[in-house]
Amino acid sequence: MEILGYLMDALTPFNLLLALVGVVLGTVIGALPGLSATMAVAVLVPFTFTMDPAAGLIALGAIYTGAIYGGAYAAILVNTPGTPSAIATTFDGFPMAKRGDGGLAISLATIASVVGGIVGAVALLLLAPPLAKVALAFGPTEYFWLAMFGLTLIAALSVGNTVKGLIGACIGLFLSMIGVAVVGGDVRYTMGMQRFLAGIDLTSAIIGLYCVPVILDLVATRDPHLKPSETGGLRLSEGLRLSLARKFNVIRSSIIGTVIGILPGAGGSIAGLVSYSEARRSSDTPDSFGKGNPDGIIATEAANNATVGGGFIPTLVLGIPGTPPDAIILGALLVQGIKIGPTLFTTDGNIVYTFIWGLLIATLLMLPVGLLIGRYAYGSIIKVPKAVLAPTVALLTIIGSFAIHSNPEDAQLMVGLGIMAWFLNRYGFQPSPIVLGLVLGAIAEQGFVQTWLIGSSSGRLPEMFFNRPISIGIICAALLTVAFPIWADWKAKRRAQLARTPDPESDAGTDIPPETKMRDYPGMMLAGLFILLGVVVYLGGNAMSPLGAVFPKTIAVSLIAFSALLIAMNLRRPDGGFDRSVRFDEGAWRRLALGVVMLAWVMLLPEIGFLVTSLAAFVAIMVIADYDRPPLRTWLIWIAAGVMICVGFWWLMANVLLLRMPAGLLF
Amino acid sequence: MKAAFVTITAGLMAALPLAAQSVEEFPTKPMTYIIPFNAGGESDVSARFQQSEWENVTGQQVVIQYQPGAGGAQAWSQLNSIAGDGYTVMGINLPHTVLQPLAGSVGYATEDLTPVHYFHYTPDAIFVRQDSEFETLEQLVEYAKENPGMVTLAGSGSNSSNELANTVFNQEAGVTTTYVPFSGTGPSITAVLGGQTTGGFNYATSGIAQGDELRMLAVAAEERMPAFPDVPTFTELGYDIVGGAYRGVAVPDSTPEELRQRISDIVSEINAQPAFIEKMEAGGFVLADIGYDEMDEFVAGKVEEYTAGAQALGIIE
Repeated sequence: MEILGYLMDALTPFNLLLALVGVVLGTVIGALPGLSATMAVAVLVPFTFTMDPAAGLIALGAIYTGAIYGGAYAAILVNTPGTPSAIATTFDGFPMAKRGDGGLAISLATIASVVGGIVGAVALLLLAPPLAKVALAFGPTEYFWLAMFGLTLIAALSVGNTVKGLIGACIGLFLSMIGVAVVGGDVRYTMGMQRFLAGIDLTSAIIGLYCVPVILDLVATRDPHLKPSETGGLRLSEGLRLSLARKFNVIRSSIIGTVIGILPGAGGSIAGLVSYSEARRSSDTPDSFGKGNPDGIIATEAANNATVGGGFIPTLVLGIPGTPPDAIILGALLVQGIKIGPTLFTTDGNIVYTFIWGLLIATLLMLPVGLLIGRYAYGSIIKVPKAVLAPTVALLTIIGSFAIHSNPEDAQLMVGLGIMAWFLNRYGFQPSPIVLGLVLGAIAEQGFVQTWLIGSSSGRLPEMFFNRPISIGIICAALLTVAFPIWADWKAKRRAQLARTPDPESDAGTDIPPETKMRDYPGMMLAGLFILLGVVVYLGGNAMSPLGAVFPKTIAVSLIAFSALLIAMNLRRPDGGFDRSVRFDEGAWRRLALGVVMLAWVMLLPEIGFLVTSLAAFVAIMVIADYDRPPLRTWLIWIAAGVMICVGFWWLMANVLLLRMPAGLLF
Repeated sequence: MKAAFVTITAGLMAALPLAAQSVEEFPTKPMTYIIPFNAGGESDVSARFQQSEWENVTGQQVVIQYQPGAGGAQAWSQLNSIAGDGYTVMGINLPHTVLQPLAGSVGYATEDLTPVHYFHYTPDAIFVRQDSEFETLEQLVEYAKENPGMVTLAGSGSNSSNELANTVFNQEAGVTTTYVPFSGTGPSITAVLGGQTTGGFNYATSGIAQGDELRMLAVAAEERMPAFPDVPTFTELGYDIVGGAYRGVAVPDSTPEELRQRISDIVSEINAQPAFIEKMEAGGFVLADIGYDEMDEFVAGKVEEYTAGAQALGIIE
């Protein structure tokens, strides 16, 4: 076997060292929200110019796969996906961590990531040329339906609250349209502000929508951030047992991840969401998803690491990068003078196969590396006092959103969206549907308009949308996902009814009146605001080219319809009066203070300088988050730690990642 | 006493060089090169080719950063807020920087930007996939004449060089084709390869990357390209279409004149490196060498050309 011979080339001490260092570096970078795999790979590319091509590739691939895995830590421990690929990891990871199973969640994520990574890499090793055809079979129509399938997850994510979930999705879809449109080229909904030209950055939106509410709630009570675990540690053997019992889920999710990784432009976040949705649909207990079901973590993490190997398939076979890090690696290969394309696997087989083996080794190394880093990360999140944890997490959100484009405006947007998300969440509009809309909006719109252009040019529009084999498959899967929860719900009610009828007496005396939902005035007021927003969005569409206007208008009409439906549903409910129980207790004051500090932080950051504002805000948040009133000595230690954290990150950004730091008055 | 004086003077001298640094010595520390697009596109690949020669030519490294967004407008609208010390330069593209400000308010005007050197261009080209029924451009034009609108051509984005070329092609050949915009060269080539569209208006570079999988029917270069000796130019076939995307290096407007010239010279020198020429030509890029001294004239000519194009696209009246 020639392929096996290349394994020996990959096993040189230097290559093993590169794989190890790459995985460690990648995991740490991925764990920090905002510092992405793309950024790490981009910074390190020049170092590979002088290396042997296979060695350089192994280093870059190891960083990439490590970063995708590392995203799970932040998702599990602070409810913030470290990379967009880990969005769906937050759904069950954070609830598990909250109830004291954080260590177990990290073990599960590690095992699933390693298996997923191996499946993806093996597919790359053995089946790359035939699998590359999948990328070509996916046309605009399929991308459109894939995005629709992703949106059906809303039904699952907002059980009992579907209308609010749909409204949230419309808001997310609206946010995704802001900026210069790819199709049509219109400048949309920027309100004349330059900062919105490039649209809402997904990463800073995710950080804001998921993480800021967590920090706001963190300072509002004196309870610890996570419930301390009873047994401590990562509970690896329990994790292995749970994963073995769910081997079908692991394998299915890995395959979904590999296939979606092959599709250029889809990527790890969609792979995670789709396989999460599939895991939930095929589960016996779909209701436990979103409340800390291990299957949710396994599905997402297996899928997103499988996209690494999958994404390399079109990159190496077709020269079409599957994901942004793939694109950078493609550039690095071209600089090395290696011609990418269909002949690569034969002409430069030694490089390609050595690299793939290196990627497999790096994936295996993720197991020990991940468990060590995970143990440390989990331990420190639990041990660090709240007064230090809250400002550190806040600092990470600011750094993460700033670092993407070296732009303080992204940090401002992050805080703004975060505070909005906290309010909306309080009134039943959860952040996940908004994020889903934001992730899928561009794919859905481009797919739709392209299909429409191609279909109407040849006068067979309905066939284009509904009569392509892969599309039909995706549509069926989507319908199943929507219909299944409704059917399961109906079946459960029916069973409950049947169980009750033969034994009417037992209900006597214990008769509990059905819990009637009272009229939800704040929800109605928000719905009113959304109707207004819908009208504005619709009218804004009038000034655009037909290509650019069709999607915004559709979304505007949907937003108005769903909001009106929400108001109508509430009008049918009994009037419980306006809830005046909202009191300004201590927690609310602390929350408010934190919101003000964070807003001031991002507004002053470009004016005064990164380090000064960060130090000031760090100390301010310490005071806000402190419940214990410790002696002065402890305070001094905390402040010293704060200074070290701020200066350390500042140094890392300015000197290692070479970001342009805002040139403020001070520094 | 005298020793102390000498020490202090020496110390001051050592602290001064940043201010009194001569242009010939520039650069004395690593430079930053901002690419206003995502990685993997032509702008990125050609900058990476430059990067591998940068240290040989200047003695210093260059760091490439990506600042994608709004088809480049996000980065260009911030160019002039960067310090004009010459250490941060930015990739700049035509026709983007002419068409975008014409199409809408994008935060900058064409004349706000200071390109110092345009180092290459990638000609537009018409592609079909290998098993397509169209062997020559003539067959495609004939088919398009008989079936107005039926020919779908994938390209990179709206108001782009690809769409401009497609519009000019429609006018020149007297046909109606449907241009389908995609979010970059990668997705649009995927659509062509997958047979989702009849063909594509892309850059000649794709002909290299995809090898035999794609057939290039004609290229919008002035003469046949060394990498594709068998592919006719549009001009040869009787259509007056020469164009593509030019890529260069721009600096903030606060950069002093001498530094602008110096950076232009650096890019010129890299353009003359044999290894660089080889990689670029093998990749389907056409080298240009438009330095700072001839920049005003070049940009003025392009503005005129693209403004006429924008009228054809319907961007402006």
